[in-house]
Amino acid sequence: MLIKRSEGRAARGGLAASFAGLSGGATDRRGFLRRSGVVAGGLGALGALGAGTVRKAEAGPMQPGVAVELKKNICTHCSVGCTVIAEVQNGVWVGQEPAWESPINRGTHCAKGASVRELVHGDRRVKYPMKLVNGQWTRINWDQAISEIGDKLLEIRQQSGPDAVFLLGSAKFSNEGAYLYRKFAAFWGTNNVDHQARICHSTTVAGVANTWGYGAQTNSYNDIRNSKTMIIMGGNPAEAHPVSLQHVLQGKEINRANLIVIDPRFTRTAAHATEYVRPRPGTDIPVFWGLLWHIFENGWEDKEFIRQRVYGMDEVRREVAKWTPAEVEKVTGVPGAQMRKVAEMFAKQKPATLIWCMGLTQKTVGTANVRAACILLLATGNVGSNGTGANIFRGHCNVQGATDLGLDVTTLPLYYGLDEGAWRHWGRVWDVSYDYLRGRFGPGNADDAARKRMMEMPGITTTRYFDATTLEPGSGDTANLIAGQPNFRGMVVFGHGGNTVTRMPEAVAGLEKLDLLVIADPHPTTFAVLANRRENTYVLPICTQFECSGSRTASNRSLQWGEQVVKPIFESKNDYEVIYRLSEKLGFATEMFKNIKVNGKEPEAESILREINLGGWSTGYCGQSPERLKAHMANQGAFDLVTLRAPENAPAEIRGDYYGLPWPCWGTPQYRHPGTHILYNTNLHVKDGGGTFRARFGVERNGETLLSEGSWSKGSEIEDGYPQFTYGVLKKLGWDSDLTAEERATIERIGGANPDNVAWSTDLSGGIQRVALEHGCIPFGNGKARANAWNLPDPIPVHREPIYSPRPDLVAQYPTRDNFMALRVRNIGKTVQDRAVQNNVARNFPIVLTSGRLVEYEGGGEETRSNKWLAELQQDMFVEINTQDAAERNIRDGQWVLVNGPEMPAGKHIRVKALVTDRVGRGVAFMPFHFAGWFMQEDQRRKYPQGTDPIVLGESVNTVTTYGYDPVTAMQETKCTLCQIRAA
Amino acid sequence: MTGLTRTLRRAFAGTMLALALAIAAPGATTPAHAQAPAPSAPAQASEQMLFNYLQGDVRGRITIPDQRAATLIQPEGREFQHFWRTTLKWIGAIAVGGMLVVLVLFYAMRGKIRIDGGPSGRTIERFNGFERFVHWLTATTFIVLGITGLNISFGRELLLPLMGPEAFTTWSQWGKLAHNFLAFPFTLGILLMLVIWIRDNIPGATDVRWFAEGGGLIGHGHPPARRFNAGQKIIFWSVVLGGGAIAVTGFILMFPFQFVTTMSGMQLATQLHGVIALVMIAIILAHIYIGSLGMEGAFDAMGSGQVDLNWAKEHHSLWVEEVMAGSRDARAPTGARGAGAD
Amino acid sequence: MARMKFLCDSDRCIECNACVTACKNEHEVPWGINRRRVVTINDGKPGERSISMACMHCTDAPCAAVCPVDCFYTTADGVVLHSKDLCIGCGYCFYACPFGAPQYPRLGNFGTRGKMDKCTYCAGGPEADSTQAEYAKYGSNRLAEGKLPLCAEMCSTKALLAGDGDIIAQIYAERVTRRGYGSGAWGWRTAYKEMTTG
Repeated sequence: MLIKRSEGRAARGGLAASFAGLSGGATDRRGFLRRSGVVAGGLGALGALGAGTVRKAEAGPMQPGVAVELKKNICTHCSVGCTVIAEVQNGVWVGQEPAWESPINRGTHCAKGASVRELVHGDRRVKYPMKLVNGQWTRINWDQAISEIGDKLLEIRQQSGPDAVFLLGSAKFSNEGAYLYRKFAAFWGTNNVDHQARICHSTTVAGVANTWGYGAQTNSYNDIRNSKTMIIMGGNPAEAHPVSLQHVLQGKEINRANLIVIDPRFTRTAAHATEYVRPRPGTDIPVFWGLLWHIFENGWEDKEFIRQRVYGMDEVRREVAKWTPAEVEKVTGVPGAQMRKVAEMFAKQKPATLIWCMGLTQKTVGTANVRAACILLLATGNVGSNGTGANIFRGHCNVQGATDLGLDVTTLPLYYGLDEGAWRHWGRVWDVSYDYLRGRFGPGNADDAARKRMMEMPGITTTRYFDATTLEPGSGDTANLIAGQPNFRGMVVFGHGGNTVTRMPEAVAGLEKLDLLVIADPHPTTFAVLANRRENTYVLPICTQFECSGSRTASNRSLQWGEQVVKPIFESKNDYEVIYRLSEKLGFATEMFKNIKVNGKEPEAESILREINLGGWSTGYCGQSPERLKAHMANQGAFDLVTLRAPENAPAEIRGDYYGLPWPCWGTPQYRHPGTHILYNTNLHVKDGGGTFRARFGVERNGETLLSEGSWSKGSEIEDGYPQFTYGVLKKLGWDSDLTAEERATIERIGGANPDNVAWSTDLSGGIQRVALEHGCIPFGNGKARANAWNLPDPIPVHREPIYSPRPDLVAQYPTRDNFMALRVRNIGKTVQDRAVQNNVARNFPIVLTSGRLVEYEGGGEETRSNKWLAELQQDMFVEINTQDAAERNIRDGQWVLVNGPEMPAGKHIRVKALVTDRVGRGVAFMPFHFAGWFMQEDQRRKYPQGTDPIVLGESVNTVTTYGYDPVTAMQETKCTLCQIRAA
Repeated sequence: MTGLTRTLRRAFAGTMLALALAIAAPGATTPAHAQAPAPSAPAQASEQMLFNYLQGDVRGRITIPDQRAATLIQPEGREFQHFWRTTLKWIGAIAVGGMLVVLVLFYAMRGKIRIDGGPSGRTIERFNGFERFVHWLTATTFIVLGITGLNISFGRELLLPLMGPEAFTTWSQWGKLAHNFLAFPFTLGILLMLVIWIRDNIPGATDVRWFAEGGGLIGHGHPPARRFNAGQKIIFWSVVLGGGAIAVTGFILMFPFQFVTTMSGMQLATQLHGVIALVMIAIILAHIYIGSLGMEGAFDAMGSGQVDLNWAKEHHSLWVEEVMAGSRDARAPTGARGAGAD
Repeated sequence: MARMKFLCDSDRCIECNACVTACKNEHEVPWGINRRRVVTINDGKPGERSISMACMHCTDAPCAAVCPVDCFYTTADGVVLHSKDLCIGCGYCFYACPFGAPQYPRLGNFGTRGKMDKCTYCAGGPEADSTQAEYAKYGSNRLAEGKLPLCAEMCSTKALLAGDGDIIAQIYAERVTRRGYGSGAWGWRTAYKEMTTG
């Protein structure tokens, strides 16, 4: 949409050439580092380098006469996956150019993407390893750091077993880093390994996967251009995923589409809506059922779709019948007429898509919310074709990939789970024996059965790490920790902020009790300052993904390869190398890196991805070889904007592929499956990215089939539902003869005595997948999606009031779940809710508190608050308070206010600025979650290692947030608690 | 002050309304806007925005601390541009140029006003050293301020072509510095003048007669006057009030958005500063003329402080009587003779 | 010759501030100097709109008209630039500018201003194109390289348009026709004494 001036067209290369020979004080890498205060050669001499002597890193302009290298990487902020083009001179990143060719961002960025260059000059980055000595940050070298950390870990392991260590990974890892860290946890011997997906979309993954097979966005940002009706519920992509709005708004304009925003807050997204619905926070299921009530009442549902492809919709009807317009309005506050209007649009003006974010997921009923959302899509037949689907916008740049690669307490990489079959599969891929892996688990004196039990037991989540640190384990029915799980004593955090989890005042106690805390991050993060630790705390400088090669998976499941822009700055190292060094110190590097190429101490990203390909059959991570991904990055311009497919005239190496080979990309890389742009799309042949709902939950239940009836993907030789493919199924169909001799040999080697059970997901040859695809069938079977997910706590979602409900009168009718043990820790939500009602907490804390994102910052915010170009734009932590609520409290816009919540220590408050606005409705307040560094009015700036304190500090919303966890994933409740606000 | 901007704003709002309507009704697209199931929000948006335009308020919310940046558009800038480029130049030309013309003509017609009785040879002290210091403090700073101020207003047309851009910038830069720093002594001078001379500048009955007789410029009589005649009182009050206004508006400009926080206030301050200063320059030109070239014996008052007795009697008869009366009571001035002795 | 203009389509702008940081990034603009900003009007209410604003490179630019030292000039492309060598930091252009574009580093005592800084339309200044000297004073010169301002190039929703006035007006008009509504091209009347044909 930009019109270039026709004359004077000269690329920078041309310009550079014309100045050749004029170069004088060109910035080179060494000069840059020197000006940044750190010189490679003189590091030793700068032992006590303090903030005062570290001079500001000056990136400087483009130097005339110096060759410019262009490097392509992917923005490290949100999950949209915008391509970043870096201009590099002499190893210094000197400029950013629009990446016009990327079909995802087409040159554009948001505030964060347009300022990523600063991250790689950031003078507030951690520059060298440090540890706390008597409460003072002291510089150490890498060898000392690894050695001391390793010794301490081994000591904890010896005394308390491997499960006494919590390994917190990151959605900022590349796929390769995430996979390595998960593998590291497996070799260390614990399932207590988690990352940010826990607190953003774990409930989405659980809810969606339990409905139709995979826990991911079904369509893509680009495909939203096809939608006629879009509902954005519990999401504010205008701030959280700004570049996605390019597709949303252009789609809206081209199709004159309905854009409905359902959110308690009138967001920047809502400003562009054609219809805005404001429900009470925490009433999403009543909203969904309220919409479905009108749909069923008027017969607007897609009956044929339901008959062919959905299991258990009748049970949903029974639940929905309870949600009459009157009841919905009573609970949610949304009038019936508006519900009817929205329902009719969504059901009739198709294709329609549902977009959601953390507004649905960060709830005590997160999984149930997501399930209800899926059911709405299924009932209206809005899944599995262009312009439809569950367009789930993930959070961080690689949260999808890190989830896929198993940084999760419930599974090994790629959703294999934790059962023996899964361990044996990965054992084969890693070329280590099952016995070896089992031997890594459990305390030193455990027997095989005890080790196997710990090996197959889902671990502790990041939302409960401090409970696992501080709670007395106990025993029997009131045990706080499951038998066999010791208290946490050590914690190794890669790329994760300490202010992202609720109940921060209690987290402080947990952090103080740890015997070891390791923070591996480009920035010190809140973990470094929140607690009053004095010893045994390490900060390791990790470089950003711009200083590292590797692939990352965007929200739409496309993998994109990022190439190293510059070498790691200061003394930072990449994730791969640090994980390697730790495993080497801990004594399992040889086994862990058996099939991975290691240069010096740095594992090679391409080699790691090849190992992922080798084992990634279950999710179709098998076809995305580094070579194919690099070819995609080199030819981005060839892909279609809407279909994401490379047309016939594209270069041969990408012809017919979907951009980024969105998983599942079946078979071996040589098989050249194009990837899957839209999941479960029966309108395409499976070899063109078509598919069906996954037959994941068996073939029948209570005499009713779970396989689809009368629906199959285009060109399928089986014109009906079918189960997942195994060697046995192939034999029954007589297709086993299509296997090559090598494939058959591999299958029989894997199967041993029982080769018929070797499935599409464990066949390392890829033969079963290949044969199924050749017959037009999808390897995972053709099943029905489940409206009834009988294995979940609420098979049909039911409304449950938040733990701290502003409507105690509704709690008796819609109570939260009874207390239970899940993911090794006890959940006492019911006790807390009952107590809140008894004590009439809602009277003393009359304002509903919800939280969310700002466009300028991301996650815990440490990185972005250290970026001067971003920090300038949001200099104060604030609370949005409704005009009337503010007037009642004599609060003026911009003044300081005190906020406290029901679980904060008595007399403690957080101090924030008031933003008086009608963005929030009466009785609702909103705070962004990116701030930290002030804690209950204590300015913690002095506690940061010198020179690494972020430019902007502020109170964290999670100091106020309260108890409440989803029963399936232990997702925390951040969107609906109570607070009180008064003028400071 | 706000009345003026308010009116201007209204006028502008009318224009903007016409514009906004024109935008909202762009030929072919209007039907779509009106009939299509067009989203309700954008329609409301236009209405609300029009409303805001009419109120002259296009402020929004901004995240950076600089709240001035929250003003999206201030079309008044165009009015300021017009004022600066056209109005002020005319005012300057008429006031300063006009006064010069008047003075030249007056000099040509009337010539230097002589002491009717010729110098007496005897003097009387009109202004003491402190008074003279205050006068010259104010006067010299005013001259520098005036020249540097005129440079800002007219230098671009008059000097820049002669000096060339670099030299002109250097000169203007120094001029700006001088203008800013000399503002303080100038203001001090004004304040001191007010204190020491206000007693003698209260308007009284004699002033009416003085005016009635045209201050003696018309005809040949000398209307009686006390220490300051009505013309001088006008100068005094012009200097005190005008100078005060220049000082106040000047300080407002020197500390932008500190005392006056709105853009319209700052614009008005700039405009007032310019206009008043130009008028002041015109008045002071007349003052300089009459105090030097225009009248025999006048300069001595601020030169040596001693004026010829005859001059004093002619122009300030009542004052001389007062002084003499006072001195008779005390002691006779050195070499004093009875007023009527000649 | 093209007549370069900016146009912000407020039905697209989502206040993502990419234009703001792109500008900071491209020109290393220091803290406190905001060559471009995004203003949201009717915040939190139906009809809320955000608009990205910077120097509009006006026709008959008020800044140039009131400048006592005549430091502004207009390029053949219609871009309004100024010479920091000539600027004396008097601040008059700020009063005249309808868009709040001029920015001043705060220097020394009593609010004295440094030399004015503003959006250059990524066209540098009077120094030779794409030199260190030009970069240090004005930032990079993309126009000389055949590129457009980075703020518009990187705009997340392609709300901010930059380029020849006739062409971007036409793009905007087409958008308005296609979607059936438009809130108008903010500031065009004031800046260019005309409006879009849309």
